[in-house]
Amino acid sequence: MIRRIAPLLACLGLLVAWQLASLALKNDSFPTALEAIRAIPAVLGDKDSLVNFGASLRRMAIGFAAAVVISIPLGLLMGRSRAVASFFNPLLMVIYPVPKAALMPIIMLWLGVGDLSKTLVIFLGVSLPVIYHSFEGAKAVEEKMLWSGAAMGLSAVQRLVRIVLPAALPEILTGCRTGLVLALITMITSEMIARQSGAGNILFNALDMGQYDTVFAMIIIVGAMGIVLDALFERLRARLVRWSEPQFDIPLSFS
Amino acid sequence: MRHFTLLMVAGASCLLATANAAQAQQTIRVGWTIPAEESKYWMMRRPTEFPNLGKTYNIEWTQFQGTAPMTQALAAGALDCATQAPLSLSNGVVGGNLKAYIIAQHVFEKPGGFSVYWAVKDDSPIKSIADLKGKTVGISVIGGGTQGPFNMLLKQNGVDPAKDIKLVEVGFAVSEDALRQGRVDAVNLNQPFAARAEAKGGTRKLFSLSQAMPNIVHILEACRADFVDKNPEAVKAYVRDITSGMKKALANREETLKVVSEVLKAPVAVLDSYLLKDNDFGRDPGAAPNFPAIQKMLDIYAETGMLPKLDAGQFKHPTIVAPLE
Repeated sequence: MIRRIAPLLACLGLLVAWQLASLALKNDSFPTALEAIRAIPAVLGDKDSLVNFGASLRRMAIGFAAAVVISIPLGLLMGRSRAVASFFNPLLMVIYPVPKAALMPIIMLWLGVGDLSKTLVIFLGVSLPVIYHSFEGAKAVEEKMLWSGAAMGLSAVQRLVRIVLPAALPEILTGCRTGLVLALITMITSEMIARQSGAGNILFNALDMGQYDTVFAMIIIVGAMGIVLDALFERLRARLVRWSEPQFDIPLSFS
Repeated sequence: MRHFTLLMVAGASCLLATANAAQAQQTIRVGWTIPAEESKYWMMRRPTEFPNLGKTYNIEWTQFQGTAPMTQALAAGALDCATQAPLSLSNGVVGGNLKAYIIAQHVFEKPGGFSVYWAVKDDSPIKSIADLKGKTVGISVIGGGTQGPFNMLLKQNGVDPAKDIKLVEVGFAVSEDALRQGRVDAVNLNQPFAARAEAKGGTRKLFSLSQAMPNIVHILEACRADFVDKNPEAVKAYVRDITSGMKKALANREETLKVVSEVLKAPVAVLDSYLLKDNDFGRDPGAAPNFPAIQKMLDIYAETGMLPKLDAGQFKHPTIVAPLE
């Protein structure tokens, strides 16, 4: 029972702390949690807002899907081939620490101000953790399993698909889970400088106009989207890698 | 065979019609920002009021956070026209090799109207510009359009802007809060935040930009010169619509409040406290750019070391400039 309500208690605790902090600070740019919550229906009830959220989520879905499709095979290859890892590792190490939103002005100049540049920023944000976790997952696969596969006549590609991919899947999905949160973050930050539609329209316009209840309402909405997406992904992950849960381990001793 | 020929003719006619339509409907990629571009907001939210829009030309709207990124986008060819400030546009010319025409003007500081001002708390010991020595002063954007006249006023009053004050960047939206919390001793206010601060009380005006010069041009509309030269008819139609949009905005305040509220997502009550009233910026009825005022601003920027000497005449197209009927 407590385990079930623990996340709700955590959220409630955060809201109470926010409410108290806001009341204590008495700062116009820091509304109370109640004021922010009261602004949520106005944001979600506006037809334009829903169109904006739809546009952002569409870009996020495309960027995330493209990143997953490209990053998983690349990460697996890096994990199983030293040459591929040696080639890509330095490039990734250079790109990893760069804040992706900081690339937006440059990408905008190359690809224009439309959806493509924003989707690329999301793609870059998601791809690095997915590549890294796929790489680590593939690297950790026991050589003996691959030798057995080879002895049974599997080709290199077959070994990658039928042995490495399933074995690395728990690690890959951990990367995807991190990538999903980063997709949400980059979805918003990619709309900071230029936008034709998107959740950034609501957030950054409210910020410019000093409507802080709307700004914080948006923060709550984006946070809630993160919780929902993470919960959905966790369900999917649990289904896909149920076999890797500890209760399915074969006991080695009965002591 | 006959059917095939008929199909081919029909297909060719369709292609030709599409090509003609594409030619007639030149798309202009326009950058915009908030607030104070009422004519463009009218075009965005009430397109049926503009017969040429969507027929002789189309607009692809992109919203930006401020004028400086739009200057970059213009210089890179990612935009055709955009809202600009005289300083950002000039920076694009100096640093980005941008060639552009000013085709219209959105807002300026009309005598007797609102002028961006620096406020202090009512009980502050700061009574004049000279008292700012040794104080922390907020400005909306360091190196932004207001800093030239600000630096000039400080110098005129014996305050060295580089040495005598601690200048910090405080966005307009949080400037009132920063002042009341004591994080800055003085800060510049713009509408609608100035109206809100005045309604609440406890602050007073120290000095305003209009003391440096009257008719300061805050935002204008500029288009890339190569785009204008290549598509004069489409840009003319755009300028006509900006002129007409400005007229509509000024003629029907009630509707303008609704239009602006739809764009800014700000309640009409907030906008009603200042928009198109005496405490708002000025708008030329024909959206005509005030080139002498722009030249004066460029001279101030040159005098304060923010820009080399520039001629505002380079931004003037002989025929394509508001007002166009």
